[in-house]
Amino acid sequence: MNSITTFFLSRVIGQKAFDTDNKYIGTVKDLLVDPDSTLHSSGHPVVNGIKIRLKQQDAFYSFQNFRIEKTNGRIKIICSQLNELSADQISNSLYLVQTVLDNQIVDINGRKLVRVNDIRLVTIVNDTFAVAVDIGIEGLLRRIGIAKPLKFIGSLFNASIPAKFILWEDVETIDSSSSNIKLSKSYKKLQTLHPSDLADIIEDLGRKASAEVFSALDDERAADVMEELETETQVHILESISIEKGADVLDKMPADEVADILDALEDERAELLLNEMEKDTSQEVRELLVYPDHTVGSIMSSEVLSFNQNMTIEEVLIELRAQKPEMETLYNLFVIDENEILLATFSIRDVVISPPDVRINQIMKPSPVHLRDYQKINEVAEIVSKYNLLAIPVVDKKNVLKGMVVIDDVIEDLIRKRRTNK
Amino acid sequence: MFKNKKTLFSQIGVFLAILGPGIITGSVDNDAGGITTYSVAAAVYGYNLIWTLIPSFIVLVVIQEMNARMGIVTGKGLADLIRENAGVKVTFFIFIGLLIADIGNTTTEFAGVAGSMEVFGVSKYISVPIVGFLIWFMVVKGTYKIAERIFLLFSVSLLMYVVSALMGKPHWGEIGHAIIHPQLEINTHSISMIIGIIGTTIAPWMQFYMQSSVIEKGLKMKQYKYTLIDIVVGCVATVVVAFFIMVACASTLHAHGDQILEAKDAALALKPLAGEFASQVFAFGLFIASIFSATILPLATAFYVCEAFGFEAGIDKKWDEAKEFYILYTSILIIGAAIILIPNAPLIAISLWTQVINGMLLPVVLVCMILLVNNKKIMGKYVNKPINNIIGWGAVIVLIILSLVLLLMPIFTTGN
Repeated sequence: MNSITTFFLSRVIGQKAFDTDNKYIGTVKDLLVDPDSTLHSSGHPVVNGIKIRLKQQDAFYSFQNFRIEKTNGRIKIICSQLNELSADQISNSLYLVQTVLDNQIVDINGRKLVRVNDIRLVTIVNDTFAVAVDIGIEGLLRRIGIAKPLKFIGSLFNASIPAKFILWEDVETIDSSSSNIKLSKSYKKLQTLHPSDLADIIEDLGRKASAEVFSALDDERAADVMEELETETQVHILESISIEKGADVLDKMPADEVADILDALEDERAELLLNEMEKDTSQEVRELLVYPDHTVGSIMSSEVLSFNQNMTIEEVLIELRAQKPEMETLYNLFVIDENEILLATFSIRDVVISPPDVRINQIMKPSPVHLRDYQKINEVAEIVSKYNLLAIPVVDKKNVLKGMVVIDDVIEDLIRKRRTNK
Repeated sequence: MFKNKKTLFSQIGVFLAILGPGIITGSVDNDAGGITTYSVAAAVYGYNLIWTLIPSFIVLVVIQEMNARMGIVTGKGLADLIRENAGVKVTFFIFIGLLIADIGNTTTEFAGVAGSMEVFGVSKYISVPIVGFLIWFMVVKGTYKIAERIFLLFSVSLLMYVVSALMGKPHWGEIGHAIIHPQLEINTHSISMIIGIIGTTIAPWMQFYMQSSVIEKGLKMKQYKYTLIDIVVGCVATVVVAFFIMVACASTLHAHGDQILEAKDAALALKPLAGEFASQVFAFGLFIASIFSATILPLATAFYVCEAFGFEAGIDKKWDEAKEFYILYTSILIIGAAIILIPNAPLIAISLWTQVINGMLLPVVLVCMILLVNNKKIMGKYVNKPINNIIGWGAVIVLIILSLVLLLMPIFTTGN
């Protein structure tokens, strides 16, 4: 007997298992693996259990005493001793047939969802590992039972059936079948994906799975992903996850984005989330929510940096270092008086090239181009392009600085319009 | 934000916003195959098969409601759910059947294009390639969404069949009597007509289409009430149009003893009986219905097959990203159009066999659906109520019996 045997999951499932005296002990229904593959030196999850059906009765046994033998291409499953698995072991395992086979998993390198046609396993000495998932046409044909004859016909014409495998370390399985929320899966591999890719994947998942994967992300990451999601998915997720988690995620997002999402949400749910969020963030959001959909106020960002005109460049820099603002916020800096009325603007470039003791009023540009909070959005794009601006300040009718519109938001709005016209 | 949503006006607004899946599905339902079946049935049996629309309507509503509910609760397509829960073999069987039936359906749609344009004096060797190319171009170039809306607008023109029907001066008393007391001889031909009408009204691929459009719309359980209205409106539209097509043909063609084989014949035969305008209206309706379905059908089929077998799919993907999808879509379209262009192609046999495959596939898809929608793991608290199951299983049993009778009858009776 070889010390290394490779075989496909589909070849084992539905096979009869025998004990050492060649007595029938049941039919193989499923294999269970330890989902935390990182615990093993090989990086592949080890098969730790087997589900056997005998006379309509399902039982779970430890895989330790099972052996898969392959002689002349025929698979034989032999068991030396039946040890039942504990309920704890069963609930902590991943079912290969029930949750992986035929289901969608994330291809980490391809950054997309793929459907599993088969799973490749290998037995090395005493342990059996899940090595790769088969997502190719060959796997499909194998399952239907026509791979071999087709391969033979193909070989006559020098054609081959495309096979496609992904190594287990490059996939993340998604468990959406079980209704019991067990120790939530960590989805560690998904954390390495770019938020936009992750958002695309979450959108493609079913309802249950999308909410589950989302709630497994840490707040910071979840906030980045949330920003990238389509409105419908945002609403669905905020309705599915707990209010606390939802509020934590929204706290990490820019107020204008939060306002957009809450706008699409049911009033009751939105109110619950706002109450749960941190005071100052929710206050900002509430102010933005007042503005109707098509107005500048509804897309503006309320996070702006404003200074007194008598401050020196040195003081501005100290302030900036203390606040650590986001990239976008630095597109434009503002000068206001004691009544928060907008006086002038200056750029980060002006700050960088000026000596530390210069005062803002020496470099600032007075009477800047600005927008009114109740102005129509469709006028903004023109102004942005006319004055080559990255960000335009927004004031109310008393000229009090309310926020700014960043070029990103304008583009987003334009794209959205184009898409709905389509 | 935070506005009062309880006013009538905003309720209508909500309804219009989610309007679509049911009504579009309903419109696609009256495709070239449907119009042909209804006209032929009415030409042969007069008003005596109109009653079949009533059970068809009930089953249609119940099935589409299940699809909508599954789509809303799971956010997954029917193809996905079947693959994940029934495994590869059942999926393979369903989708090979679906693929073959839909190639046949697409052929029927192009036959409709060819036939209707011939009424206006345009040769099929001109109309079919041009329409085929335009459809392909429109979908691949991604203007599909605009097209869908234009078609939806045009599908209002299906109501022109009402005009066509009224011009044939139908006998309302007789219609009413025929619905309550149909005079029908039970034989292979009448049974196959009944299966044909049910099969074309409740085509298997529409279940997949319905569920996907619900997901695409992002509907939620809170909007269920409006979704239900949308479905009922769509089904009513389907059945009303079918009713008037049957009335139009029954009150003219059947009354004069004219026999027809295709929908085009119906349009032509209407000319001396109900006037040139009635004939052209009939042909125009057929043309629009054919293009609409010839656009959606190959696209939908390619999409579900790819979904079930795990290939990338969608018109928002580039050719390289979703090669299988585009190849499949293009092939279905080309095969469908090419068959029409073959001189003396056996169109009647193709449409007959398409209906037979549809008829056999329907119970399989329905059984899968009913099992899925009753699965607590998938549907949670939104599993079927007993009434859904009674009507669903009832429909499955009746369909299976009818299909079996149809398949077995030719063995016992000869010469049909």
